[in-house]
Amino acid sequence: MSVLVILVPPLVAAALVCVPFKRQWAAGVTVASSAIVLILTARIALRASTGDLAPDDGSVGALRWIAVDGLSALIVLLVAFVSTTAAIFSIGYMSRLRLRPWRLRLYYVNYNLFVFSMLAIPLLAEPTLVWIAVELTTLCSALLVSFENTREALEAAWKYVVLSLMGAGLALFGFLVLYAAVQASGWSGGYTWSALIQAAPRMPPALLQAAFLAILIGLGTKAGLVPMHTWLPDAHSQAPSPVCALLSGIETSTILYVILRLFPVMQASRNSHAETWALVLGLVSVGTAAFLLLQVRDYKRMFAFSTVEHMGIVLASVGFGAAAAGSGTMMQIVSHAVTKSFCFFAAGAVLMSEGTREIAGVRGLIGRSPAAGAALVIGGLGITGAPPLAVFLSELSILRAGLAQRLYLATALLALFIVIAFFGIMLHINRMVFGARETASRPLGGPERSEPAPDARFAIPFSCKLGLVVAAVPVLTLGLYQPQALQDLLQRAAAAL
Amino acid sequence: MNDTINQLLDNLNALVTGLFLLTAFGIVAMRQARGVLSLFIVQSLLLAASAALLGLRHHAESLFGVALVNLISKPMIVPWLLRKTSPSEIYTRREVSQVLSIPAALLIALALAILAYFFALPISNAVAPEFRGPNVPIGVAGLLIGAFTLTVRREALPLLVGLLVMENGAFLSGISISRNLPFLVELAIATDGLIIVFISGILIRTVQRRVGSTAVGELANLKEVSAESLEGRAIK
Amino acid sequence: MIPYIVFNLMQVVVVLLCAPLASGVLSRMKEIVQSKQGPSIFQPYRDLWKLFHKDEIVSEESSWIFRFTPYVVFATPIMVTLLIPVLTNYPLFFAFMGDMIAGGFILSLGGFFSTLAAIDTANPYGPMGASRTRMVGFLSEPVFMIVFFTVSFVAGSTIPYIVQEKWVTPLVFFVTPSHVLLMLAFLMLILAEGGRIPVDNPTGHFELAMIDESKSLEYSGRGFALIKWGGHMKFFVLMCIFLNVLLTPWGLAADQTLGAVLLAVPKVLLKVFIFLVVIVVIESQLSKLRLFRIAEFLGAAFVTSVAAVIAQVF
Repeated sequence: MSVLVILVPPLVAAALVCVPFKRQWAAGVTVASSAIVLILTARIALRASTGDLAPDDGSVGALRWIAVDGLSALIVLLVAFVSTTAAIFSIGYMSRLRLRPWRLRLYYVNYNLFVFSMLAIPLLAEPTLVWIAVELTTLCSALLVSFENTREALEAAWKYVVLSLMGAGLALFGFLVLYAAVQASGWSGGYTWSALIQAAPRMPPALLQAAFLAILIGLGTKAGLVPMHTWLPDAHSQAPSPVCALLSGIETSTILYVILRLFPVMQASRNSHAETWALVLGLVSVGTAAFLLLQVRDYKRMFAFSTVEHMGIVLASVGFGAAAAGSGTMMQIVSHAVTKSFCFFAAGAVLMSEGTREIAGVRGLIGRSPAAGAALVIGGLGITGAPPLAVFLSELSILRAGLAQRLYLATALLALFIVIAFFGIMLHINRMVFGARETASRPLGGPERSEPAPDARFAIPFSCKLGLVVAAVPVLTLGLYQPQALQDLLQRAAAAL
Repeated sequence: MNDTINQLLDNLNALVTGLFLLTAFGIVAMRQARGVLSLFIVQSLLLAASAALLGLRHHAESLFGVALVNLISKPMIVPWLLRKTSPSEIYTRREVSQVLSIPAALLIALALAILAYFFALPISNAVAPEFRGPNVPIGVAGLLIGAFTLTVRREALPLLVGLLVMENGAFLSGISISRNLPFLVELAIATDGLIIVFISGILIRTVQRRVGSTAVGELANLKEVSAESLEGRAIK
Repeated sequence: MIPYIVFNLMQVVVVLLCAPLASGVLSRMKEIVQSKQGPSIFQPYRDLWKLFHKDEIVSEESSWIFRFTPYVVFATPIMVTLLIPVLTNYPLFFAFMGDMIAGGFILSLGGFFSTLAAIDTANPYGPMGASRTRMVGFLSEPVFMIVFFTVSFVAGSTIPYIVQEKWVTPLVFFVTPSHVLLMLAFLMLILAEGGRIPVDNPTGHFELAMIDESKSLEYSGRGFALIKWGGHMKFFVLMCIFLNVLLTPWGLAADQTLGAVLLAVPKVLLKVFIFLVVIVVIESQLSKLRLFRIAEFLGAAFVTSVAAVIAQVF
């Protein structure tokens, strides 16, 4: 069975949802297709975890530019999982908006195409084709970000498109230079990720360095690394919550995956400073995001900044050296994807229940909507790395790797920033969930916005609760128990790094 | 004789790339949105010409394909797509108030072009002599100037053109240093440019309908500011 | 030796006699494009003739500068003519007296004196035109400098006779980007320095909008004739530099015989005529820029010239 089959259900679903049928038809098709993809990817991930899939094996990919190894199997699995839970959550979330049928269909068409493009990134092995898939993720999700068509959503979508495509332009240059480097090395065995590693020792270092920097900065823009992150909080806060879960939980990781693919290449060529770049950029991202987290006023923006922070942690952990931190890095990607998507579902539930995005507008949530309040607390604890949960485990192993590499200063800084981010997020969430309503919170005489309009409040539908529960399972369990297959998969993914 | 022809082709290619750089400057300096689009079309034609000249010079057939794809997609389909998707208002706009005055913007663009040569120098030195030429530095210059356009422009069409100039720049250096790229990839990249135009066109149309203007760059509500000032701006 | 001096003086004669004709042809063609009949192409000669026979009035308040300036304005293009190739493609007697930069300095000496003279009379329009001319000058001089430096960088010399051969030997050099971009920049400079549209409107009669013309408003009679003639010659000389050194270094006399040099005269005039057609096309296409947009026009020229440097140096 070719792995290309994975790409079929989203495309079919994108076509099927166009059929004007019953109201829930589009949602049903999307959930079904995501579930099918999840099952298919689970099988591939299982095979990958047992080493059944050799990298670049002709039997897996019918074509040369398709290849699956542990790392890409892991990413595909995450995309499939998050897209399934987000599809379930979308049913209820979208019905709240009372859209006209064609708008709902438009949403699902874009949703499926977006999932398709994200699935394509790890499956493709030809870097320039991967670049095209990256472009497609931007373009398919642009209309999802602007979906609510408010002034702010449009602004966010525009910034998202312009900055991501700007980065993509630079990355394209990087990939073309990389191709030139392959040619210059005299390698004739095609242009794929694994070919790059084999050709790397004979590549001219200048070309490789230039290509790496262009791709790191270009794709780093889309992954939300700090000097280039400005669009991310906007886009990840203005989109509808299920889309935010996709964008924040998995799209950024998928882009980061492409960057991670370059590190083995850089290691294979002897003199490279890739790790230093990664460590510096990662630490800057974590630090900036941690301090920005303290002063946010919008809880979706808060989670968006937390995404910047986590991307920084992943990159910094790569900077610690793949050999030491490899499995920690992989675990971090996994735990971030499941936890962050859960956080955005929780944020969506709060938005449904309270009708405002402002932190100051939400107080005493646990009394008003226990489900949303509990979800927010779990999400907040999960994402900040509270002890028994998944993120804690991965962050701990990354810090340990940092210490083992004797990078004491960097490790200490990373730990400090993580603690700051913990307090930042938990302070806000604590106020939102347990805090008492302040009465004199508007000294400037602005309009009274803390009390939401009555019709803005909305009971959380069943499908959203179901989505929350499904998404909560890995958040709560992965810290305590990881199936053997997952552990194997993580090991193999780390080996590819 | 062959030498003369090769030298002529080299010179012509250098000339075409020089004019490419000039159009990039023009895109920075041009006020009228329609003029920016025309300059972009000229630039794409120059890109196609450079691909064809390099193809002739180095007997690389795949470059003729690239030239053809560029000839069809950018000068022809992009304006058509724009007409289909976005409001006609974008053509009629002029940028009266820019972030920078035009001479200042031009000077910065010049500095970027000179910077691009220094960026491109190690790349040019690392590839085989037959891949060298003016394409790499001028392509990098196009990349930088396109990015610069994105930061100083406010109007939708010049911003969109800035994105496409970046891609043109990457391509211009690409046809020189990685000219054996599979045709499928080239085709996909060209298609990608069209999707960019399509999606941005739809976005521009929505913005124009919702905000009443195509000055997309002036949308600046989303910041880490207090809710009060946000509210005040929305009312204004 | 002697023929070189003779040929050199022939160049001066050609410039002296043909410069008003070029201006006349240019204005006639513009009128034809505008569907008007237009004056005869010999009208500039008649104007000069008429002015030379009129009385000259000089303000009592003006200084010697005012009286001296017409001669400077008249003499400087002639000086430059001695340095540049007008008819021959081999260096003549005075060719090594100065290079292109010296030529630029000599031309700007005329501009300097006419500016002083315009301020000298205290006519309100004179200083206005003078300051505007200076503005254009300040903006165009860096471009001149860059053009000259690039040319000298390529040719290894700033003597125009040497430069002209570099671009066409071998012929493929003609299409090098630096050459083409320099030509473009220099064309813009000629439009600016010659006071043509889009920088200045030479046929305008509205004093507030004038740039170049308003400097000579106070002149009359012989002084005015000399200034006008000098203006014609300056434009002609700039065209000669552009055509014979940068754009089309063909059609010049290669042999050191009188016949060859005489034969070069109609060829050069033909080139000038073709170039005038181009200028008419440009002037009919564009409208005059507002004063502060001139900076953008010359900024474009500057960028073009620097692009030429970039293309050449790297």
